[in-house]
Amino acid sequence: MMHLLAQTDSFGSVELGHYLMTSSVLFVIGLIGFLTRRNMIVMFLCTELMFQAAAIAMIAFSRFHHDLSGQVFVIFILTIAAAEAALALSLVVLLYRRKETLSAEAWSELRET
Amino acid sequence: MDPKLFLTASVICIFASVAMWMLVKANTRAAKGIAAIVGIAAFLGLLSNVGMSQIESTQKPEVFFYLFSLIAIACSVMMITSAKPVYSALYFVMVVLSSASLFLLLQAEFMAFALIIVYAGAILITYMFVLMLAQQASDPEMEQEQAEYDVNPREPAAACIVGFVMLTLLSSMIFQSMSDMPTPPSASDSRIAAWQTFDSMLGSKQEIAFVQRVIPAENAGWNGVHDDDGNLIRFEGDEAYIQIAQGEETLRVVLEDRFAPSNVELVGFDLIAKFPVSLELAGVILLMAMFGAVILARRQIELSEDEVREAAGMARISFEALEPDSNGGESP
Repeated sequence: MMHLLAQTDSFGSVELGHYLMTSSVLFVIGLIGFLTRRNMIVMFLCTELMFQAAAIAMIAFSRFHHDLSGQVFVIFILTIAAAEAALALSLVVLLYRRKETLSAEAWSELRET
Repeated sequence: MDPKLFLTASVICIFASVAMWMLVKANTRAAKGIAAIVGIAAFLGLLSNVGMSQIESTQKPEVFFYLFSLIAIACSVMMITSAKPVYSALYFVMVVLSSASLFLLLQAEFMAFALIIVYAGAILITYMFVLMLAQQASDPEMEQEQAEYDVNPREPAAACIVGFVMLTLLSSMIFQSMSDMPTPPSASDSRIAAWQTFDSMLGSKQEIAFVQRVIPAENAGWNGVHDDDGNLIRFEGDEAYIQIAQGEETLRVVLEDRFAPSNVELVGFDLIAKFPVSLELAGVILLMAMFGAVILARRQIELSEDEVREAAGMARISFEALEPDSNGGESP
């Protein structure tokens, strides 16, 4: 841990790695949220968080490589996220009508065995 | 993989995931506070290790990056730990806003505003509507109570271990490849790159219009001259310039920054020129999602054969239709 303290001046410039680190931390938080939450809507919100993390990484790559394709990919990520939100939410509405609960475990009998 | 970097990554990630586990599980305010401090310290530790490569840089400290990334991460942690789903959605709006600010720092203006409009404006509102719809408690006594499945997390320890493994892998990969990563682009680098892209998007008609726009008024009608590689825009040091000619005379016109292509123009050109089929496919996906949502979410209404015929403007066929009370189907 010693070299951590010696690196305090490294807060000076922001490089690609900083953005990638932010993006991977956001992604992992989204993953943990998806695994721990039991409310179906919040689980889908966590997938949106993971999309968000991917978008940050894409934009950072696009800036540091001078290639605009990264930004174009974010447009497609937005499209997929919107389509996913529409379909997932209508499924949630459908499931909620059947069982009157948002708990994902209410549907655990769908698994095999 | 360099064992020292891997060790550093895993030590910090252990702290981060313990903090995460405490936040997910803790009930008291004090425990949450301690966990939040440990978590923020671990994140700053990760970021400070990223800077280990010795890259010369004259840039000023980018306070805003640290500010917005801390806001984004703090709000995302609040999002997955808050017991009320509506608060989760609101914290997610904060995550979207701060990552839009990060996009602005990365000079992706169009995507920043598109993100706010599409995510915060459209997708999150849909989520809020569904939340409101689902939270109408069937009996009023339940209204104040939190649902059990929102309060108790499922397997927090296992989830944090999964997250720890993932974060350790990602962060040690990032630490290790820092020396291969591109350096932060200087302002002149990105200007030259923008002009180069702009040059490739000029057709012959647009080129004439562009030349007439940038040259001084007294040279109106002169033509742009291409260099040996066929490029109109040439570079010398930080400067972009074009050559214009009429007859034997040639003149050099420096391109001012106010004529530089904007981010929207460049992204739009890239989208149309490189990914035309993907653009069409994205449209089809959105259309299909709309159909799917409409079909899935409508209420199922059983109609009898006669009612279907009636809705289609045809005559009823069965005898039952003559006696309305004995009609088997539900009325819509």
